[in-house]
Amino acid sequence: MNPATSIIPPVRHSAWNIWQNPIFRRYCQSRLRLHGLGVALLITLLIAGFIVTMVSSIGIRGHMTAADAARMGIMPLLVVQSIILFILGTAQVAGGMTAERDEGVIDYQRLIPLSPLSKVFGYLFGLPVREYVMFLSTLPFTAWTLWRGQVAWNVWLPLYLIVFTSALLYHLTGLLTGTVARNRRWAFLSSIILVFCLYTVIPQMAKIGLVFFKYLTITPVFEESLPGLLPASAGAVVRAGQRLLPTVKFFNLDFSEAVFTAFSQGGLILTFVVMLCRKWRRAEAHLLGKLWAAGFFIWIQILLLGNALPLIEPGDLFPTRGFNRMVRLMPDWAPKPGEAVLMSGIYGLATLLLIFVLASIITPSADHQIRGWRRARKQGESSLPRLADATTGFWFVLVMALAGAAGWFLFTRALVESRWFPGHQVAPGVLGYFTAVMLAGGLGFQALLETKGGRVLGLTAIFVGVVPLMTGAVFSVISDRLIPAASWLIGISPLSLPFYAAGTLLSLAELPAQAARAVPRAFYFWLFVSVLVTLWLVVRLWAHRKALARSVLAKPADVPTETGP
Amino acid sequence: MNPEFQAIAGGPAPAISIRSLRVDYGNFVAVDDLTLSVPAGEVFGLVGPNGAGKTSTFRVLTTLMEPTYGEVVIDGVDVLEDLESARRIIGYMPDLAPVPTDLKVWEFLDFHAAAYGLGNRAQRRERTAQCLEEVSLTDQRNCWCKELSRGQTQRVVLAKTLLHRPRVLILDEPASGLDPLARRDLRNALRKLAQSGATVFVSSHILSELAEMCSSLCVMNRGRLLAAGTVEQVRHQLGSTERVLTVTPLGRLQEAAAWLASQPAVHDLKICGQQVVFGFTGSDDAQADLMEGLIARGIRLRAFEEKRSSFEDILVEVAENNRRP
Repeated sequence: MNPATSIIPPVRHSAWNIWQNPIFRRYCQSRLRLHGLGVALLITLLIAGFIVTMVSSIGIRGHMTAADAARMGIMPLLVVQSIILFILGTAQVAGGMTAERDEGVIDYQRLIPLSPLSKVFGYLFGLPVREYVMFLSTLPFTAWTLWRGQVAWNVWLPLYLIVFTSALLYHLTGLLTGTVARNRRWAFLSSIILVFCLYTVIPQMAKIGLVFFKYLTITPVFEESLPGLLPASAGAVVRAGQRLLPTVKFFNLDFSEAVFTAFSQGGLILTFVVMLCRKWRRAEAHLLGKLWAAGFFIWIQILLLGNALPLIEPGDLFPTRGFNRMVRLMPDWAPKPGEAVLMSGIYGLATLLLIFVLASIITPSADHQIRGWRRARKQGESSLPRLADATTGFWFVLVMALAGAAGWFLFTRALVESRWFPGHQVAPGVLGYFTAVMLAGGLGFQALLETKGGRVLGLTAIFVGVVPLMTGAVFSVISDRLIPAASWLIGISPLSLPFYAAGTLLSLAELPAQAARAVPRAFYFWLFVSVLVTLWLVVRLWAHRKALARSVLAKPADVPTETGP
Repeated sequence: MNPEFQAIAGGPAPAISIRSLRVDYGNFVAVDDLTLSVPAGEVFGLVGPNGAGKTSTFRVLTTLMEPTYGEVVIDGVDVLEDLESARRIIGYMPDLAPVPTDLKVWEFLDFHAAAYGLGNRAQRRERTAQCLEEVSLTDQRNCWCKELSRGQTQRVVLAKTLLHRPRVLILDEPASGLDPLARRDLRNALRKLAQSGATVFVSSHILSELAEMCSSLCVMNRGRLLAAGTVEQVRHQLGSTERVLTVTPLGRLQEAAAWLASQPAVHDLKICGQQVVFGFTGSDDAQADLMEGLIARGIRLRAFEEKRSSFEDILVEVAENNRRP
């Protein structure tokens, strides 16, 4: 072979050596040009300088000590830094990634011989590099306020550690959005909405029993660090208030907020990196492998339970407790039974929704299945590898459904059999019903998706999942006499089954008089129907897979006949 | 598939071997049962109208797309099984080759040189300079990519494709947007590459463009391979032995026409002024016999002209025939 052409040896760019990463350096070149960076830095420095001088001047004029006056600047600086890293950075990552695809240059990056991890890290740190520099430019001001404010290192270090892990998490969310979303504006918009939701909607889920979601933000660590960051007098008040709040517990282990937040975010960061690596390795690949998806589901269940169970006995898990503490309505507060029933239903619904999301990630499309069987034929195999994308997601959804039912049952039992509801017990038989709800919902969803595809599933979700809920809701407000009919209608939707199960099976359930008869009947009837339909769908799924395998494997191997020129 | 339209092979081991390739987009079949071999060290053309399946084929070859089924082996590497090795062998230039708008030409090339591990900064600079020279863009080194004309952009991307000295170059419509001079340069560059041992697989929907630069080519339409071989072989495979002959006798026009009409392989004969014009599907020997026969009958000939359909005409005809239900 002529020396002008040669095979390139495998290039070994260490994924961890970010300074030598060509993608990172490429973005350093384009995003740190003097013109663009200069303007950004000027604005950032002006804002940061203004905040620090203004706030500390106000403090000194208000006869505060020098330390307290300096501390007054910490919070506003943190807000500016959060806006830079979380909002601007995330939007830049999502928009930049989509721009790469819009322009078409992403194909070049797919072909360059870097490992998928190197590519992910290159984009993760390269795309928001200007925002990182802007953030760094505010640090001297922060350092000054911390030094003058005499803030202990064990107060600010965990906070800034979590600021960094949160930034990574949000940037990965943006990167994933940019990789999946088809349109640059959509990617930009959805990443902003996502960050907004992470700070507003998601933490609210902690108030209804799903405490884990709070740890996806910097809020818990921020609240923990707050007394040390505020002026001494205000800090003392906050510290006194915090003594009333629970400390973070994971089962019986006591963690600091920072450690637990880092642990919670670490799992998600790892999962997002795995998703992106899979997409870089092969664009058509599923976002998650089957084993990883099932493991991720179980990990989330453990986190949900680990966070929730220790808060039941002190009562801190109940939403009304937090509300009561805020407005101090009832000194002898106790949770209502209905609250526990509702929380059990919410836990079941959240679990079911998570199964839906993961099932749709790991379920192979018709194209994937055909390709998988073709590859099996090519390799002389008569079955698909167990963990391949083309393999059915059925068994893994089954595992998730069983794990979900177990988690739901443990949560419900801990709730109902707590000291708040003496005399109430959850019969072991309830686990069977919970399992039936999860299996009917999860497996039905998966089997329908794998057999009929996304379009049929979408239509089914609308007409079976949403329309009955809406119609039932309208019926229930028209007249009290229509409530039984509404209960039957709402029961059609698999999304209502967790609530119906909790309302029917738990001894402390107190259903309204109009629904007291209809809900249990509707639950048993629709659960029976759901199980039957799911069984039928599963039978169809196996028949479909067998037919597909037979049709592909039965054809003789493709032997080309070639003729010379 | 009609064996007549099977691809070429023979000679040394093929650089690219495609077997039974099929690419589906939902219910639409973009590439249908394509089997093809591209010999090593050749400039091989893939021609076909828009929507023929050229880009889909190239995206599978370059590991950017997983086919519905089929096998693709490039330089002994199974592209569908060993993506990473395949990517090191291939140099790919996509259709309407994009460039990042936020980089200068040298930065764009240096980024790729670094990604392919082409030595230190000085070595990379030397290699990028070489590649820019090969595409006659040395003067544009410090220009912004977004400021380049269409043709210059094509050449920058070609330079990027050459950087790591790939053994197999896959160029999707590389000549689109190039002026005649740049096209000539491209042709010379591709020939030089082929001489140096690289295999160049290049597509276009303009046949004359490919005929000038390729040693062999194949024709695709609506996802199917219609013909493959040298230009003459392809013409033959597409059934284009058809030619139009014009005979201009000196007098005895009717007699010449009557005799010609009675000959085999002659059809659609008509008299236009002082000329007899007819279609002829016979061989070159049979054509010589026609002239000899006329002279033997004492008919003196002022002119005997042959006109073949142009390749473009043939392709248009093939494409239109395929379009008909």
